[in-house]
Amino acid sequence: MRGLLASVRFALVAAGQNFTRNLAVSLAGVFTMGLIMLLVGGTLLLTHTVDAILAQQETQADEIHIYLQDQLSMRTVADYELRFSHDSRVNGVAFTSKDQAVVAAQQRGLSLQPAINTLGTNPLPASIDLHVRTLGALGQLNTEAGTLPIVDNNSGHATDYSPGVIPRLQSVITVTVWVGSVLSVVLAVISLVIIMNTIRTAVYIRRTEIEIMKLVGAGDWFVRWPFILEGVFGGVLAAAIGATAVAVAYRFVLSQANTQAFLGVSFDGRYLTAMVVLLLAFGAVLGGFGSFLGVRRFLHA
Amino acid sequence: MSLAAVMPPQVGQKPDPGMRPVISFHGVSKTYPNGTEAIRDVDLAIYQGDFCFVVGASGSGKTTLVRLLIREEVASTGRIFVDGQETTRMTRRRLPRLRRKFGIVFQDYKLLPKLTVAQNVAFALQVTKPGQRHLKEKVEETLWIVGLEDKLDTFPDELSGGEQQRVAIARALVHRPRIFLADEPTGNLDPDTSWGIVQLLLQINHRGTTVLMATHNREIVDLCRRRVIAIDSGRVVRDETEGGYLREGEATI
Ligand SMILES: Nc1ncnc2c1ncn2[C@@H]1O[C@H](COP(=O)(O)OP(=O)(O)OP(=O)(O)O)[C@@H](O)[C@H]1O
Ligand SMILES: [Mg+2]
Repeated sequence: MRGLLASVRFALVAAGQNFTRNLAVSLAGVFTMGLIMLLVGGTLLLTHTVDAILAQQETQADEIHIYLQDQLSMRTVADYELRFSHDSRVNGVAFTSKDQAVVAAQQRGLSLQPAINTLGTNPLPASIDLHVRTLGALGQLNTEAGTLPIVDNNSGHATDYSPGVIPRLQSVITVTVWVGSVLSVVLAVISLVIIMNTIRTAVYIRRTEIEIMKLVGAGDWFVRWPFILEGVFGGVLAAAIGATAVAVAYRFVLSQANTQAFLGVSFDGRYLTAMVVLLLAFGAVLGGFGSFLGVRRFLHA
Repeated sequence: MSLAAVMPPQVGQKPDPGMRPVISFHGVSKTYPNGTEAIRDVDLAIYQGDFCFVVGASGSGKTTLVRLLIREEVASTGRIFVDGQETTRMTRRRLPRLRRKFGIVFQDYKLLPKLTVAQNVAFALQVTKPGQRHLKEKVEETLWIVGLEDKLDTFPDELSGGEQQRVAIARALVHRPRIFLADEPTGNLDPDTSWGIVQLLLQINHRGTTVLMATHNREIVDLCRRRVIAIDSGRVVRDETEGGYLREGEATI
């Protein structure tokens, strides 16, 4: 136990010496890796945010609005609502009046008041809104709705169904996830190479010392630990730099996006925390493993 | 140099001659990659408690012999045993334990330039006996023995050749090794200091440590009348239990 403590202290001191003696190379390595961590973190957050936006869109995408002619009796509308509510493909039925349609449009950032003022009437139709169980039902319901006597065909569309949207959304999600994953893996490999070479330089500088240590009877781990600790320390430092930059950027971009682009994406503190922890762990593991690989060559020479 | 306080005379006796050698060479040869045959067909047995001088002209193979012992170099043919273990077959993983049995003074000292004198000595103790109690006291005591108690915080570059050599000796002694290997440990020392170091080695030998010392110092070898192993072009040409630097009757200048 005392032996272990003494060895740990020796390794810590030596790791610190390695880092400071070799300050320029160490710092260059740490900052390059910090930049990579920034990219990895940025990619993660971007993927997550796009995911969030798309998820939001998707919940809207399982809805179809069947536009109704003006001046239908409440009775007729209620009959159709009842019919749809018995349809097995339909999950929920709601009614949006012409006035409610204006409010909803305004919530999406469209201001219709000027148009209403010029026209003198409200141009938006009322609608029966169906929630479907499967997205595939949207197409069928759209076709069926076109044949109903109550629909408003003035705009050329019986519903708000637009066939391309769903597959497109899904492919955007897949592409983002793929690009993010591939990019992260590539960046991780680059980090590993950078750490390996930084540590290799440190080992090279100390090669005579290592040789002497081994001749006096030092074991592999005695020689290895200082470098591994140096790698872990550098990796964590780099991750901290990268994570800080990502967190600051995330806050800034989101506040800009929400005030200027009406994207209803909220700041996800839990995800950010999880990501920072992940980056730190990632940095430590990469740093330690990179050093291990960097020292290995010399130890076996 | 008063050593009595630090190293009281040993209580035990000389080991009995029938015991197993602590070091043995069986038909050992070493050819370096460039083709130099540094050691040729050497057979040797060294017993626990022996005090051996290894003498021979420059280039005769003394350092190579030491390198083979700690397996800094691997024998080209033959077998070497240390403490009953065949070092020539040892895996890399076992080497540290082998080397910790030795205290080694290298001909070129091999001090760590970025560590102070005290740190250089302490480091050897940390390597060989992690968690050793009273590290600082042991280091200072050992440096006091070699007369460097006032140079604790000096760096090797700031020392004279002889002082560096004494740091190397202190580093080899600090963990009280079973076998003390010294390659030309008095090469840079004046006669008085050299003699002091030899006295010290005789004392630790008296306490049971096996001592193997390669040297060119004729005076010391002749005065001590200990075992002498003479090497010439890699061959053991003489092995006497109480020999001199030169063979009896050999021409002296
Ligand atoms: N690494 C090496 N590669 C090739 N040849 C070597 C190497 N080291 C030593 N030699 C050669 O091996 C022979 C023995 O060298 P060694 O260093 O063992 O001699 P030595 O007895 O210690 O000499 P000295 O008294 O000068 O220290 C010499 O001819 C030397 O040139
Ligand atoms: Mg030599």
